[in-house]
Amino acid sequence: MTHQIVARAVADGRSKLREDEALALLRAYGIPVPDFTIAESEEGAVKAADQIGYPVAVKVISPQIVHKTDVGGVVLNVADAQGVREAFRRLLEGVKTKAPYADVEGVLVQKMVPRGVELIIGAVYDEIFGHLIAFGLGGIYTELLRDFTMRVAPIDEHDAWEMVREVRAYRLLTGFRGMPPRDIDAIVDVLIKFSRLVTENPEIREADLNPVIALEEGRGAYVVDARFILRPS
Amino acid sequence: MLKKLLYPSSVAVIGASPKPGSVGYVVLENLLSRFKGAVYPVNPKYDEVELWGRKVKFFKSVLDVQEPVDVAVIATPAPTVPKVLDEAGRKGVAAAIVLSGGFAEAGNAALEEQVVAVARQYGIKVLGPNCIGLFNAFADFDTVFLSSERAGRPPRGPLALISQSGAVTAAIMDWAARRGLGLGIVVSYGNEAGVTVTELVEAVTDDSNVRVVTLYLEGFRYPGEARKLLEVARKVAARKPIIAYKAGRGRTAQRAVKSHVAAMAGSYDMYRGLFSQAGIIEASSVREMFDMAKALAMQPIPRGSRVLVVTDSGGLAIQAVDVLEELGLEIPELPESIARELKRELLPFATVSNPVDLTGSATDEHYKIVLDALLPTAFFDMALVITLVQVPGLTHNLADYITAARRYGKPIAVVNFGGSEFVIKFERALEDNGIPVYPTPERAAKALWALYRYGEVRRKIAIAEAAAA
Repeated sequence: MTHQIVARAVADGRSKLREDEALALLRAYGIPVPDFTIAESEEGAVKAADQIGYPVAVKVISPQIVHKTDVGGVVLNVADAQGVREAFRRLLEGVKTKAPYADVEGVLVQKMVPRGVELIIGAVYDEIFGHLIAFGLGGIYTELLRDFTMRVAPIDEHDAWEMVREVRAYRLLTGFRGMPPRDIDAIVDVLIKFSRLVTENPEIREADLNPVIALEEGRGAYVVDARFILRPS
Repeated sequence: MLKKLLYPSSVAVIGASPKPGSVGYVVLENLLSRFKGAVYPVNPKYDEVELWGRKVKFFKSVLDVQEPVDVAVIATPAPTVPKVLDEAGRKGVAAAIVLSGGFAEAGNAALEEQVVAVARQYGIKVLGPNCIGLFNAFADFDTVFLSSERAGRPPRGPLALISQSGAVTAAIMDWAARRGLGLGIVVSYGNEAGVTVTELVEAVTDDSNVRVVTLYLEGFRYPGEARKLLEVARKVAARKPIIAYKAGRGRTAQRAVKSHVAAMAGSYDMYRGLFSQAGIIEASSVREMFDMAKALAMQPIPRGSRVLVVTDSGGLAIQAVDVLEELGLEIPELPESIARELKRELLPFATVSNPVDLTGSATDEHYKIVLDALLPTAFFDMALVITLVQVPGLTHNLADYITAARRYGKPIAVVNFGGSEFVIKFERALEDNGIPVYPTPERAAKALWALYRYGEVRRKIAIAEAAAA
């Protein structure tokens, strides 16, 4: 049942998936993620970005850094090769001063996703309830506004629809104040696939897909950043 | 499975006592005075004692009883419970109700494990320990060890309560008794060492005497319990509504976590999610739980969410509309054609829209005209009727008119309050005929919402079942 990406991390004694592993795991379950590549050098990063196509995001990869933005570990909207070089240097400098304890394994070069409504999809393991799936408003205000709802995993399509309709952020998805309606079917699809992912990988303790960007109707929803915390074996 | 626990034909009271005020005394008195089946007092200290004007024979051990025993009620000190339960097991009882406290709740988890082991060995269904037991008005079976002067016993009726807390259970019983609320079956499950809350939900919904199940929950104790309740509730909620009140709503989330979701998720969020997923209707207080239960026991399920509001008080109607809208129910405008007719028949200064405001000059007939013209149409799914009967034009005939509107097959809730004999009689006439009455518009609106919500639950289950077939 356990996917090999999770199995390998557990076998290595790690309690967290690397960024690229997290994204690959999602992709393996059919959950849309923007194109990405790992690079260990400046030249490698440029080559990766050329291949993916601009604009890209460049993010630092380090096992010690949990919240990348807090240490200046993310550069968004990089438009060309020169930009990638600058981003690469800036990230390494930033981490050196703000998180000197961190080992940098490289950078993640990721295709930028257009702007959309930022949502969060997550999972948590509880002794009594087992796995629960959460859905709510994503982005930086998630914990402040606490607009989210939970269900016991696994969830079915009906549960997923109820979750989406239950949160206040639902109004943002249906076209609030002249904003376009978002691809709600795609969000429901991510929720169901994510529930399957979590159920089939009982080693997952906590997971955040944040943000999940909901694009306009018919354009889909993409997981831009994912974090998986595993049960220590 | 729990039939013998709920409807025993013979009961042994282990730890029965002739000493007034003791647990063993109250239980014995309750059973001997009302229970129709056989009662066997067990206490090695006594042989035969004169009690309540008759000679009561005590047995040294449950094993000395010749006839079969369905249920053993155990009220002996905690350390003796494994031993007397073992005797009950050898006797072949189907179930035991352990009233005694002093187990896991007092730090004696090992003693509780012994009880569980004995129960498993003999296949005894154990309710408790540390519970006030069971009250079944339909079987006159009552093991609640509080005297009925202090904790009243409710009349037979279609509501059931499954409760984790003993003290809260007794208080609810007393409260229901004073209001004549038909709470026919009450089970307090205490430490849940044997019989689980899920088994009780299943057994009680199976009971043909029960129409609505209420659940007072503080917290699950065992891994996997949430999932079990979810699976069972999803099945039985199609047959009978389940309403839950979860006490302890603190949002203390898990500490030492690394993700946003885990940092936000308190246990109450988990319970809420579970209720909604399981088709369990959530109440925000004990009172609200019974407000909803009353409506669900008395009224049909609405097809949709459109509410007709009829009133003789504009102020109360505004409050009703506020709450109905907040709950997601609709208050649609009256269809033009019917409104035109109504204007001819009602007072010239009545407001003929939704809410229909008949004003303080309203008469019984005005209510009748409005209900008959609007409730049977396809424009409305239910009615919230506000009747401040203190105004001069209203009489007790109004209760008959509202009751007669039941024939339209749509839910009706009435808002009425006051304290005069006249008002109380009016309310009783309605409730005796299956129309629930509430003192405030919010409470009536929430009760209608519960009916609507239960309709949604039923539709959801029907769709899932059709898809599975």
